[in-house]
Amino acid sequence: MSKPLLSLQNVEKQFGTFKAVDQVSIDINENEFFALLGASGSGKTTLLRMIAGFEDLTSGALLLDGDDISAVPAHRRPVNLMFQSYALFPHLTVARNIAYGLEMERLPRKEITARVDEILETIQLSHVAARKPDQLSGGQRQRVALARALVKRPRILLLDEPLGALDKKLRGEMQLELKRIQDEFKITFIVVTHDQEEALVMADRIAILKDGKLLQIGSPSEVYEHPNSRFSAEFIGVMNFLPVVRSGDGYQDRNGAAITATDRGVLGHGATLVAAVRPERMLLNPEPHLNQLTGRISALAYHGLDLQVHLETPSSPQPVMVRLTADAAEGLNLSIGDTLAVGWSAKDTRIFDA
Amino acid sequence: MTTIERRPEFLIAPALAWLTVFMVIPCLLILALAFFRRGTYGGVEYTFTLENLALVFDPLYAGIFLKSATIAGTSAMIAAVIGYMAAYAIVSMPKRTQPALLFFAVLPFWSNYLVRTYAWIVLLNREGLITGIARWMGYEGELPRLLYTEGAVVIGLVYNYLPFVILACYAPLSRLNPEISEASRDLGATGWTTFRRVILPMTVTGIATGFVFVFVLSIGNFVTPALLGGGQFQMIGNLVYAQFLTANDWPFGAALSMILIAIMMGLLTIQTFATERASGARHGTD
Ligand SMILES: Nc1ncnc2c1ncn2[C@@H]1O[C@H](COP(=O)(O)OP(=O)(O)OP(=O)(O)O)[C@@H](O)[C@H]1O
Ligand SMILES: [Mg+2]
Repeated sequence: MSKPLLSLQNVEKQFGTFKAVDQVSIDINENEFFALLGASGSGKTTLLRMIAGFEDLTSGALLLDGDDISAVPAHRRPVNLMFQSYALFPHLTVARNIAYGLEMERLPRKEITARVDEILETIQLSHVAARKPDQLSGGQRQRVALARALVKRPRILLLDEPLGALDKKLRGEMQLELKRIQDEFKITFIVVTHDQEEALVMADRIAILKDGKLLQIGSPSEVYEHPNSRFSAEFIGVMNFLPVVRSGDGYQDRNGAAITATDRGVLGHGATLVAAVRPERMLLNPEPHLNQLTGRISALAYHGLDLQVHLETPSSPQPVMVRLTADAAEGLNLSIGDTLAVGWSAKDTRIFDA
Repeated sequence: MTTIERRPEFLIAPALAWLTVFMVIPCLLILALAFFRRGTYGGVEYTFTLENLALVFDPLYAGIFLKSATIAGTSAMIAAVIGYMAAYAIVSMPKRTQPALLFFAVLPFWSNYLVRTYAWIVLLNREGLITGIARWMGYEGELPRLLYTEGAVVIGLVYNYLPFVILACYAPLSRLNPEISEASRDLGATGWTTFRRVILPMTVTGIATGFVFVFVLSIGNFVTPALLGGGQFQMIGNLVYAQFLTANDWPFGAALSMILIAIMMGLLTIQTFATERASGARHGTD
């Protein structure tokens, strides 16, 4: 693989005695759309602020193109940050907000105007160029903040919850829009989000953070299909967890049913274990060699193309979620109270420490 | 619903009544004197005239107006700069210590104005503390006169009204989102450019408010010029004082007051509208 554009090496940030970022190492490649995913307080913003130059590293190194930039002040880093609060300048018009960063580079006035006009066109906000930020809608403000950082053509654009303040529909549109812009400008994006769906849709690679620590890093399908811990599994997508105990070569659920997993799927070796399986991996009319369970339907929910079934079963303290395609469910006439048997294969089973 | 709940603006009635009865009406009565002749032995002769107002623009008195405006303007400028710096420093302290610092900045305000001004006499006196320090540090030569100068008056005015400026500047500075100045740095601006292009424009209303306050309060002040200026020169406040209490020329005193009040009102109006516009633009109403 080629040399990484940005390399975080054992990066740590301590506030007093509290470690907000703990031994994080990540390599980010040129032109990558990278997502930092984690719950509130997991250190995502702190990590971005360290890359932007607003927080010193307590320890570790920050390399850009192989050069340590941890001592370079924020205003000289070829990196721009789109703030979670947008932080637009309220006393300047949209056009002056966007021009600000270019004026700092002392570019000729003509070039500044041309680049500002061009980017206003890209984000389709030419008609509000003369307005102040407070005369814009939330979605418009978000795009101005994006344009203001983007127009500088940084090596890396850092985006802190760029879509956090938008409503659901606009978010969906902007996710694709961000992808398109990233592709068009050929700039490396590092996006912070706590929305796993957003990360799955947008990112080339995802890093999952928890309590300042890096839990897993990989492509969306890798982290979805091969979560390396119970936390990752729970954080990305929906996952069923059945408490199990070791039994011979395999495992046994609470109901005494045998559960098998492939060697690759065994990621936990402690005393208390869970078997994890995705709802869409559950099959009806299971063949005998599959892992299986039987339960009573406690809820049914249609989601357009598929049907979500909640099963109450002695195998699990929580209802087990089963996702059936509309085709599979057709003709079954499932209703609440019915008994249903489902199964799943050993290769779709993961064993984690509880 | 009661009347108050429906029309809460009626709650202003007591304040308005109080001000009207005890402030506006007496003021108007006094100001009305400006249009009458002075009696031969003091007092007022009720025949209409514009002479008093015309006299205000006599070079002698216009000069005193100009001098007062210069002193008030200098004081306001110095207070605005020092006050803004102080407010800026307070805002950059940790959030929990800020109220205490503000409290200390405003503390002198709660002591008696005369006592505070006399304290400056002690400091600036020929045998005062400053001279003492200079002597202690080994300076033997002649020291310039400190007390009873314009400089002393400016010092006294700045000192007295500084807390106003600090409070006026603290308000917009403390409302500033720190991410705004970070955004400026992020876009490539140095600290100084960030201050000049972002922080200052966003907080200039505080400076303007503080400046106008100090100017308006200083131009009519008569205690500080009397005590620290030592009667070496007159400010407009002293002139008004003299007309009413020694010269016994109430109509001319009223005319001077009228012009003074007009200047103050003009400035305050401009300042109010300017602030309104600035915050109006911020809230998207223009
Ligand atoms: N300046 C600071 N001083 C002390 N603690 C801080 C500071 N900044 C952040 N923290 C703490 O560090 C932890 C991580 O904060 P951070 O803002 O990076 O979280 P986040 O992942 O961005 O969360 P969110 O999704 O809520 O934005 C939090 O527990 C926070 O309280
Ligand atoms: Mg955050």
